Amino acid sequence: MWLLVGPGILAMLGENDGPSMIAYAADGAQYGLGFFVPFIPLLFAMAYVCQEMCMRVGAVTHRGYGELVLQRYGSVWGWFAAGDLTLTNLVTLVAEFVSIRVGLAYFHLGSVVAVALGLVLVVFTFSSGRYWRWERIVLGMALFNGLFLVAAILVKPHVGAIASSFDFSPFPGGSFNTLLLLIASTIGATVTPWMIFFQQGASADKGMTPRDIRHGRYDTAVGAVLAAIFGVGALIAGAALLTHGGAGIQGFAGAGFPEALKHIAGSAAGTVFALGLVEAGAVAILTISASTAYAAAECVGVAHSFNTSPREAALFYAANVGVALIAAVVILIPGAPLLSIALNANVLATVLLPVSLVFMVMLANDKGLMGGWANKRSTNVIGISVIAFVGLCGAAYGIDAFLQTIHLIGS
Amino acid sequence: VKDATHAVNDAHQSSSIREQDLQPQERFEDELIMHLERDQFVAETARPVPRAALSGRATAGLWALRIFVVLVSLMVVYTFIDQLH
Repeated sequence: MWLLVGPGILAMLGENDGPSMIAYAADGAQYGLGFFVPFIPLLFAMAYVCQEMCMRVGAVTHRGYGELVLQRYGSVWGWFAAGDLTLTNLVTLVAEFVSIRVGLAYFHLGSVVAVALGLVLVVFTFSSGRYWRWERIVLGMALFNGLFLVAAILVKPHVGAIASSFDFSPFPGGSFNTLLLLIASTIGATVTPWMIFFQQGASADKGMTPRDIRHGRYDTAVGAVLAAIFGVGALIAGAALLTHGGAGIQGFAGAGFPEALKHIAGSAAGTVFALGLVEAGAVAILTISASTAYAAAECVGVAHSFNTSPREAALFYAANVGVALIAAVVILIPGAPLLSIALNANVLATVLLPVSLVFMVMLANDKGLMGGWANKRSTNVIGISVIAFVGLCGAAYGIDAFLQTIHLIGS
Repeated sequence: VKDATHAVNDAHQSSSIREQDLQPQERFEDELIMHLERDQFVAETARPVPRAALSGRATAGLWALRIFVVLVSLMVVYTFIDQLH
């Protein structure tokens, strides 16, 4: 079991990244515990359905998602998928560096340190030359995602209020568009295109076979449970700001959540939350850069494994470092709207996700590839429901916000 | 949703007729793969999978979804840029 633990937990905890934790904390700060406490575990249940399919397809076909879409459905769809991924990954990576920057700012460290830390980690983790070592290093770092649970405990939440919020009430009020933004960004904080590329590519890279699928399911389920618990932790920590955050979510952008928490719940809560943001950003930089590298190398058809040397897989490693480098440069721009980038990165991921999910479900249904491991009808019903829900939420926000922007409807 | 459902069903049905005959063979291949050495495993995965045949309706559905997603993405990007001012 220990040998097979990895891709599922990494995908799920990697998705509990900087923008995700900021989105959860923003949900809590804006609306309190009601609705979002049960909504986050529900989203991770949806994420489990999607990620289990990725793991199963990777284990049965021994190929990454981009490679398989390209070979099975043609280069147009393969390149579209890679293009979507590169775009969302680039924006998300910017948000990851923002997360590290916000966390380090609490300790009076600047954006140059954030950039250096992110880039050094990318190079350090793959320098071992084996997928196994890369995975164990990232896995070890990912466990510190639990800091958000510690932050939640430190703000001393009312346990009764948490328990009573599991009935999805009260439903959030206020601006319809802000609510749509937070729901879309919360979905984007839980299920994203990079997770699909990453878990299928990593399952193949790890050498999983159909015999390992049962353990792969455990790995994915444990990841989903841990990520849901830590995500709710960030929400609870953010909810401590509810009665103090009259300025709304954008109001926290300047000081940052850790600084705001420090004033409300003490320096320990602020410190732990700040360290959590650094960890969340750092782990996600590693996993998202890796997913970009898998996609780029798979689509070009060259070596795409951490088990190959940089000389043998030059494009794979160049894409890994290159995408992180581009994102790092963006955050060095003075006056960048940090929280807005973080939330919109998630929204963009939500909007682009349905296409990736449709191909995922198609691959998982393809008996020519999957044989007896193809989807059951019940998995298809859930999978298609997830696609419809994600598509609806992303489109609702995108269209509503656009119509408001061009003044066709009021806010 | 209709498009997505159709595309999934299409992938399922178009492949299921000829794949039913291949299932015993595939089971054998699964067993074989589990016993391959690392280098043999890598060589096996280097073999491309055959192209799937998508029906016209499934292709149209995928293009409709693609165009819809691009349009909504442009709206999100436009809104984001507008908010920066």
